[in-house]
Amino acid sequence: MGKFEEDCERKGLVAVDIRNAIIVNFWLLAWAVSLGVISYFLESDWSFPTWIQWMGFIIHLIIGVGAILAFKRFVSKADELERKIQLEALALSVGVTIIFFSSYAILQKALEIADLSPAYLIVVMSLGYVMGLIVGRLRFR
Amino acid sequence: MKNKLKVLRAEHNWTQADLANRLKVARQTINALEKGKFDPSLPLAFKAARLFKMTIEEIFEDS
Repeated sequence: MGKFEEDCERKGLVAVDIRNAIIVNFWLLAWAVSLGVISYFLESDWSFPTWIQWMGFIIHLIIGVGAILAFKRFVSKADELERKIQLEALALSVGVTIIFFSSYAILQKALEIADLSPAYLIVVMSLGYVMGLIVGRLRFR
Repeated sequence: MKNKLKVLRAEHNWTQADLANRLKVARQTINALEKGKFDPSLPLAFKAARLFKMTIEEIFEDS
């Protein structure tokens, strides 16, 4: 047994879950960096040929697909309690996002307030997901 | 769902981490199972039954 497995065992964690979670974090970090860097350069004053802009789009898309597959692998291989917590957090995240955006759409029509930036979609989904994880961890503690 | 995991674990002098390692789950899962907060999947129930050489019904009972 390697040191990593021993550390996981001592902490009461499943080594394969930790390994898969690290891989998911790597993909998500790469996705966030690619989003930031590509958006920054496309919005800058530099003019890029169309093929480079397409390359940026394709690279970001490929990293996004990689992140989805890594997360799917993490959830499907996860310890069954962890899988339940993750799925409930995802359900909460989707629900909160739909309710938030539909409510905002009604408010927007009623009060004529500003359009909501798509960036808020990621923020609301992330907050819903993190909230779901915290609630799940506390519930099954 | 009620279960006898805590009693069986104590009889074997195992910690939650020991049982978790034998069943290949996280220690938190054993803790949640013992407290009755979480119901195991059928494969995990079979694994526990094999480990303690008992039937599933002898370990888990519908409450």
